[in-house]
Amino acid sequence: MSISSQLSNNTLTISISGRFDFSIHREFRAAIDAVDGQVQHVNVDMRTTEYLDSSALGMLLLLKSKMNDRKDAVSLINAKPDVKKILEIANFSQLFTLN
Amino acid sequence: MSDLTSSASSNNQTKALIVDDSLSQRLLLSHMLEQLNYEVTAAKDGKEALGLFDPEQTDVIFMDIEMPVMNGIEATRLIRQRLMDRFIPIVFVTGGDSDKYLDECIEVGGDDFIKKPFNASILSAKTRSLLRIKKLYNKLITQKKEIEEFKALEDKEHETAATVYENIVSTGYMDSPNLHASLSPMAKFNGDILLCAYTPADKLNVLLGDFTGHGIIASLASAPAAEIFYGMTAKGFGIREITEEINFKLKKLLPVDMFLAATLACLDRESHSLSTITCGLPDHYLFCKETATISTVASNNLPLGIISSADLNLTEEHHSVSSSQRLIMFTDGIIEAENHQGDAFGFDGVKGCLNAEKPHCFDDILKALAKHQGKQGQQDDITLVKLTCDFNPDKWQLYSTNKTHVRMEPSNWKTSATMDYNTLKRLNPVPALVNSLMEIQGLTPFRESIFLVVTELFVNSLDHGLLRLDSSLKSSTDGFAKFFELKQERLDSLSEGNIKLIFSHSPHKNGGILTIRIQDTGQGFDEQSVKSATLNNTTFSGRGIELVRQICDSLDYSDDGRQATATFSWQNDT
Repeated sequence: MSISSQLSNNTLTISISGRFDFSIHREFRAAIDAVDGQVQHVNVDMRTTEYLDSSALGMLLLLKSKMNDRKDAVSLINAKPDVKKILEIANFSQLFTLN
Repeated sequence: MSDLTSSASSNNQTKALIVDDSLSQRLLLSHMLEQLNYEVTAAKDGKEALGLFDPEQTDVIFMDIEMPVMNGIEATRLIRQRLMDRFIPIVFVTGGDSDKYLDECIEVGGDDFIKKPFNASILSAKTRSLLRIKKLYNKLITQKKEIEEFKALEDKEHETAATVYENIVSTGYMDSPNLHASLSPMAKFNGDILLCAYTPADKLNVLLGDFTGHGIIASLASAPAAEIFYGMTAKGFGIREITEEINFKLKKLLPVDMFLAATLACLDRESHSLSTITCGLPDHYLFCKETATISTVASNNLPLGIISSADLNLTEEHHSVSSSQRLIMFTDGIIEAENHQGDAFGFDGVKGCLNAEKPHCFDDILKALAKHQGKQGQQDDITLVKLTCDFNPDKWQLYSTNKTHVRMEPSNWKTSATMDYNTLKRLNPVPALVNSLMEIQGLTPFRESIFLVVTELFVNSLDHGLLRLDSSLKSSTDGFAKFFELKQERLDSLSEGNIKLIFSHSPHKNGGILTIRIQDTGQGFDEQSVKSATLNNTTFSGRGIELVRQICDSLDYSDDGRQATATFSWQNDT
């Protein structure tokens, strides 16, 4: 299982293991679809994410859009240096909370 | 036992073919299979079986081994040959001393054996099991065919995408001796685009981009991007305006999860400067082949098509460059290219090729990459671009005042526009104004010259008149960036003043004279100091004014430098 979701106190945490790319597109879409009005904040936990490609960036944009484009609604957390570099190149700190 | 015609008529029953030279065995086996509700055809030897055998009308074959005319092994070999990748189970009927053939039976394509005398339960179980395998196998073959068809369709789509993309990009693409690129083969469009064109003022604009996704969708999205890039470059817009316009269009057009990571670069030979707007591509390197210094040009904007242009807040960088410098740009295919151990080529792989001893950094990078990838060979999505900051005049298409094909009625007119400080903060009025002049008088053949003159005079009025910037700042590399920083700063805080542009035209001899007058409300400057600087041709800014003097018939400053008047004459063909 490369994606797992957990909801607690109105915060949804989506953890992604291994390669975050087009191959998990469906799973990630399913995780996004599960977001409902109850969810106030989403953490995307990249502790065990090894790689990120541009379609993953696209999926994060979909998630943000699902959260009505609220700037601080989505946090990208625990990214390893290689993954963080990709987020930085895309300047995603303008759109998400990175830490 | 039924003949072929009757078996063809009923399709639901399982159809068996029995091949045996013994009439009693044929009858016995036929009877047992018919009891199991199979439809049976029988042949007395291999040769007759081949004649009767119809792949469409056979589900399972029972084959005796030793037969006259053609034995079971030969018949099986020939049937397998005829079936190619289709599968029909063949069961060998064994008995007596035929065990010695078992290996050979499997060798030629037999699937199972059944021993005489036959046992009805074993016969039924074996047949059912083999039929199940046949069903699975055929399902697999059907799926394989579907996948192959799908793949062919996708290849075709890629090909179409590549053709569409190529048409889009080649319409307006200008080859530049300053630009050197290696792109993945067109047949496999991967979403990378490279555009290049000169502005009327002879600046070189370059766009390198990487769409999320590939194939037909990415190539369709590249159409508006290319159209905007070429259209606005031809009209003389700067890369900031072009970037904002592309972003605006893509934001409107693309689904949420698609965007364009891109870098726009502008090489200006007048000021020996390179401007870049970096939006989500991997770091570029500005490499000087003489000093071997590498400076990193990192992405400092969001990719395009994600947020509205009003929120974009683009950061533009300005670099003072010399002819020994080149900008090395690439998309992520290069850094992600893996060797057989799965290690990526990485930024270090590129940097390793940038040093003073190696004069051909571009080829070196490609070679090192090929070596890194080893036997796996080049992957498809490799895009590498080298923009050489070479200002050798041979490399630039010199503004050509082509006066040979003109035939127009000169007229008398005058027009002017005043831009107040708020307008000046927002836009560069030159492209729109020069375009309107073209509408009035049809001066299109001189468009580039007029554009250059108006741009130079306007920029001078703004920089030195209103913003009171000192161009001696630009003489050092650091100062160059500082100059632009300061310009932005002062522009932002500008709270008064305006620039007026006045254009008048009158017929003269066989043509006309266009007078361009630009006035600013600044403090003015000592005209003499500008003149001496331009004569020495030492400063960066002086070069532009010198060029204006060359193009125009006259250039005069008055009102303590607050007014510049240039005249430009043209002649019809005689």
